[in-house]
Amino acid sequence: MHGWCGKILRVDLSSGNITSEPLDPQVAHDYIGARGFGIYYLRKEVDPTCDPFGPGNKIIMAAGPLTGTAAPTGARYVVTTKSPLTGAITCSNSGGNFPAELRKSGRDALIIEGVAAKPVYLWIDGGRAELRPADHLWGRTTHATDDALRSETREKAKTAVIGPAGEKRVLFAAIMNDRDRAAGRAGVGAVMGSKNLKAVVVHGEGEVSLADPSAFKAANAKYRDAFKAKTRDNPPPLRTHGTAITVVGTQSHGVFPTRNFQQGTFEGWESIYGETLTKKYLVRAKPCFSCPIACGRVTRIPDGPFQGEGEGPEYETVYSLGSDCGVDDLAALTKANYVCNELGIDTISMGSTVACAMELFEKGFLKESEVGMPVRWGDGQALVTLTRMTGMREGFGNILAEGSLRLATRYGRPELAMVAKGLDFAGYDPRGEQGMGLAYATSPIGGSHMRGDPAYFELLGVPVAADPHTWEDKPPLVAKWQDLFCVIDAAGLCVFFSVRYLVEQNLMVKPLGITELLNAATGAGYTPEEVERIGERIFNAERLFLLAAGFTGKDDALPPRITREPMPAGPAKGMVCRLEEMLLPYYALRGWSHEGVPSEAKLRQLGLL
Amino acid sequence: MRVHVHTFANIRDYAPAGKGLAELALAEGATVADLFAALRIPATVEAVTLVNGRRADAATRLNSGDEVTLFPPMEGG
Repeated sequence: MHGWCGKILRVDLSSGNITSEPLDPQVAHDYIGARGFGIYYLRKEVDPTCDPFGPGNKIIMAAGPLTGTAAPTGARYVVTTKSPLTGAITCSNSGGNFPAELRKSGRDALIIEGVAAKPVYLWIDGGRAELRPADHLWGRTTHATDDALRSETREKAKTAVIGPAGEKRVLFAAIMNDRDRAAGRAGVGAVMGSKNLKAVVVHGEGEVSLADPSAFKAANAKYRDAFKAKTRDNPPPLRTHGTAITVVGTQSHGVFPTRNFQQGTFEGWESIYGETLTKKYLVRAKPCFSCPIACGRVTRIPDGPFQGEGEGPEYETVYSLGSDCGVDDLAALTKANYVCNELGIDTISMGSTVACAMELFEKGFLKESEVGMPVRWGDGQALVTLTRMTGMREGFGNILAEGSLRLATRYGRPELAMVAKGLDFAGYDPRGEQGMGLAYATSPIGGSHMRGDPAYFELLGVPVAADPHTWEDKPPLVAKWQDLFCVIDAAGLCVFFSVRYLVEQNLMVKPLGITELLNAATGAGYTPEEVERIGERIFNAERLFLLAAGFTGKDDALPPRITREPMPAGPAKGMVCRLEEMLLPYYALRGWSHEGVPSEAKLRQLGLL
Repeated sequence: MRVHVHTFANIRDYAPAGKGLAELALAEGATVADLFAALRIPATVEAVTLVNGRRADAATRLNSGDEVTLFPPMEGG
């Protein structure tokens, strides 16, 4: 095989058996990789009704055929499992260097099953793989674990680890790779902790075999040259200021979630957005493997109560730990970000859960005596303290560790959890960004922006602009973008480069460049239409898992704050999200019933029957 | 008439008096295109343009006191 390594490593933690399996060429062709492989194996091997922490759940870590190649941003992998936070599928995506290293070791994917009797880590050194004891690492932070593992394996090895939060099954614990990159959403780290698997360490020196090296080289040069030409005089804002520059787009449209989505504009936005981060704390920009953009932030807070160094914050973190908690102290939210990275926590759900606690507290549903401290809007010290307590499940942190929906339900106000299917929203208020509301509601993992991010065209002018306030035109766009993101994720690419350079620059985003790179790498001979169909197949397969896990169309829902409480002020003043008007047209064009179930004809068309 | 102009990232290179937030005097009836000309923003520079938080284009007419926001297209989030 070319493009694909053709090998999958199966690790049975219960028996300790490790086996290498060939990748079925038909599966490779029909699902491309990464997110596609994740849902293929999850549906094939995991009972959708299983206990996410039970031995029946599996973790599929999979890279795409462009991961680890010279393709621009070919850095990504996807972790697929059944989420303990939501009970739905989750497929969490991360970059860095670990995914490329996995491919250099000669493997496309790992399937991790069973439960180890004692803490272990998986050490993959080229063609060899073994489970090693990890008792000495249990309890250590992600950074300390990475240090220790590279010291006892190889200095150049790449790691994906859990911190104390994953060990303690914080329901939104992350898997951190390369120290500060996160497969963050919906508790993949907690599932790893439930399996007593502390880390995966990998070293590889191979190269991905390409079907047509000269065509690949030419395509790669063409798209990199396009990037260089566009950014020669105007450096990409993501490199200069990181993703936190996105605050400009959300604040100016009035959709920057503030105080648990009570408002869409934040008076303290200038204190926490990307340009301020650059001026105050940026040490350097840091790229993932094979990335020309370099949006990663290495930062340092030189002094004061929040002194520290690490990576971040990203835009989503600036929203969740910042505006959503009313925190305008960039040092405090950056420190909370560092704590999340070291303990292994998803920053989005962490901030959203604290924001929910703050609203419960400010409205009198949650008492100071229960928390052990006041949790007022804007209290940066409380934010940092509660983040640490959550990661360690200490005191009230043990309740926060269950996430915002369980917290709000416990205090009798489930409607105050800003979630879809139990997963906290990203940093976009759907009242002033209608397509995002539909995307949150129909995302197979719940409230994620990365399942077809409409913010690109609704707010950020990429590839072209669409009106964020209209809803009638959004169902076909959201469906198209959801399918596109399946393709980007399956290929092993990053959306930041792909949506600008590897798709046709209009709202229909035909994946021309992605197809060209995939064909040069794999020799599959895909047409762009076939690649689009694969995206649709992946999205529908994820939907089938979701439905089989007990979800229905009724769960394609948003909290009443979003659909019934008009935005109080700002450019989106008076608006609510018109989800009801969008949902049935969306189902219809997806070939789904009024209940949101894919029709037999659609499944047959996609080869899913 | 006077409008408020917010510029961000590389668009700030064209900001009035080099300030990210500045006032700009324009003739009555001026449009977004007139504002771009006044700021000498070349046609090759891509900018997302909002007037009072709503998407605007070159032909959008400006009124005194309007808040104009200009930022480059970005792949953020």
